[in-house]
Amino acid sequence: MAKLRFFADIVMNREIAMDIFHMKLYCPMAAKLAIPGQFLHMRCSDTLSPLLRRPISIANADERDGTLDIIYRVVGEGTRLLSAKKTGESIDIMGPLGNGYPIDQKVNRIAIIGGGIGTCPLMFLAKKLATKNSKSGNLVKHSVFLGFKTAKQSFGIEFFQSLGYDVHISTDDGSLGFKGFPTDLIQDYIFDVIYACGPKPLLAIMQAYAVRHNIMSFVSLEERMACGIGACLGCAVKMKSDGYKKVCKDGPVFELSKVIF
Amino acid sequence: MNNDRISCKQNTHKTDLSLEIAGIAMKNPVMVASGTFGFGREYSEFIDINNLGAIVTKGLTFLPKEGNPPPRTYETPGGMLNSVGLENPGVENFIKKEMPYLNSLSIPVIVNIDGDTVNEYYKIAKRLDNVKNISALEINISCPNVKQGGMAFGQDPQNAYEVVKAVKEGTNLPIIVKLSPNVTKVEKIAEAAVSAGADAISLINTLLGMAIDIYEKKPVFYRTFAGLSGPAVKPVALRMVWQVYDAVDVPIIGMGGIFTWQDAIEFILAGASAVAVGTANFVEPQAPEKIVAGIEHYLKEQFEENIRLNDIIGLAHKANID
Ligand SMILES: Cc1cc2nc3c(=O)[nH]c(=O)nc-3n(C[C@H](O)[C@H](O)[C@H](O)COP(=O)(O)O)c2cc1C
Ligand code: FES
Repeated sequence: MAKLRFFADIVMNREIAMDIFHMKLYCPMAAKLAIPGQFLHMRCSDTLSPLLRRPISIANADERDGTLDIIYRVVGEGTRLLSAKKTGESIDIMGPLGNGYPIDQKVNRIAIIGGGIGTCPLMFLAKKLATKNSKSGNLVKHSVFLGFKTAKQSFGIEFFQSLGYDVHISTDDGSLGFKGFPTDLIQDYIFDVIYACGPKPLLAIMQAYAVRHNIMSFVSLEERMACGIGACLGCAVKMKSDGYKKVCKDGPVFELSKVIF
Repeated sequence: MNNDRISCKQNTHKTDLSLEIAGIAMKNPVMVASGTFGFGREYSEFIDINNLGAIVTKGLTFLPKEGNPPPRTYETPGGMLNSVGLENPGVENFIKKEMPYLNSLSIPVIVNIDGDTVNEYYKIAKRLDNVKNISALEINISCPNVKQGGMAFGQDPQNAYEVVKAVKEGTNLPIIVKLSPNVTKVEKIAEAAVSAGADAISLINTLLGMAIDIYEKKPVFYRTFAGLSGPAVKPVALRMVWQVYDAVDVPIIGMGGIFTWQDAIEFILAGASAVAVGTANFVEPQAPEKIVAGIEHYLKEQFEENIRLNDIIGLAHKANID
């Protein structure tokens, strides 16, 4: 049997915020391999509609109980079908795919900044960083900046708080936290490393900020994918030097300063 | 057939799926379509590539090519549009960086080549001529996603003739000519290719299509048009294989929307000696392996013992005479 292709059991699938679903999968092998920043390439239907798989970031993986979590927003037919899946059904996944966030830096002040559904890979990252911290006895408080459209679509906040992060929230309409973007909030601080994921406009602002302050930054990009494994060249993103890179295979995590938005 | 290890497994079955196309010995008729399988390595984590009949690599140009700006893919009902624009590392990097892996495979390697000019096709063919372990060249005269060349050579019989002739001069390798469906009379292009020395014909490449972003109020793709593939194009592809089978005597490699073994059998009955799986790889990496198993099962179930694949190629044409 193939190595990175599984039929995972759905342990849970429920709405946790408006149009935002949390699915838990039992798949010990994938759970064991997964690192933050990676994604699963998921078949949403057994029929030919929709045809292509959907790439979905891994929001958590637990090697001990063999589960993986994904959190996704219902945006189209594929994700709508995903949201209709029931506990006990199995789902066809490829993965974990892609590279991941590098977390070996010896740094003190870490910022995690996410917008909307881009929060998901950062949750997994936050957990890994927290584990690493507690192992090293390092007690620095890292900061998380999250932006959502509106309070009803917010999620993950308690998750970050429970890990001991200093969490700053913004919403576009001001219904929760600061009214504005998470990029507005971060400007008051200085960090050694930034991890980001979210909509392109947010990432572009982060890039300018990181470049201005010369902060090492990593971003996880989202792009439409066909194969998800580097074979079709369908998920290109332009780099400042070096031409196009494949989001699925060379990424999804890149050095923020190198990407052209 | 050559003495590779994998085929021993298949020999325990009575049904013989092995065949020879243009001098390429394959243990089964299921290949992968150019551009959907990278240079092979990418899929090695998902299937045993040596189970394929042959591998066809991503289109190569003489010099490296950057490809088109994103977006490059767009899903459509039962299919997808792509505008990759032939991003590839160029022939020298291919030889240096990709051939070592391809050399390690036990199946035939077919290299898909592309050019802006007749001379570029000639130069690539000549450069690849003495590279070890390449079984054949597939000449892509049907890429819809580049500014020059590509499909333009596949839409006019005289142009097609000249490209094939030039490639023939550059190499002694068997030549497969890959046709575009974006023509009125595909059989005329096939005839021209064969008269210039094509050893086999493959078809179809993608159908020209487009999509419009209704909120941006502009085409989705930078080049406006893009190539449609997947199950949506299958009936068109099948019809064209049928027409080309009637027109020329060289073997045909059929492709376009093949997802299941039933699809593959349709192409074979329409006249394809072999089939290639493209878009299906993205959805089901094991599609080619499943199709091999399905074809084998079908032959056993539908025909007498000792039937060979060869015996059913184009069979549906016989029923059609009246
Ligand atoms: C993403 C993508 C890239 C492709 N690149 C090439 C290429 O480089 N050269 C070529 O001859 N055909 C290329 N094709 C066409 C396929 O080889 C095939 O002819 C076509 O997709 C129809 O088969 P399918 O419906 O099974 O995909 C490409 C197709 C796709 C979807
Ligand atoms: S989706 Fe095919 S190369 Fe990235």
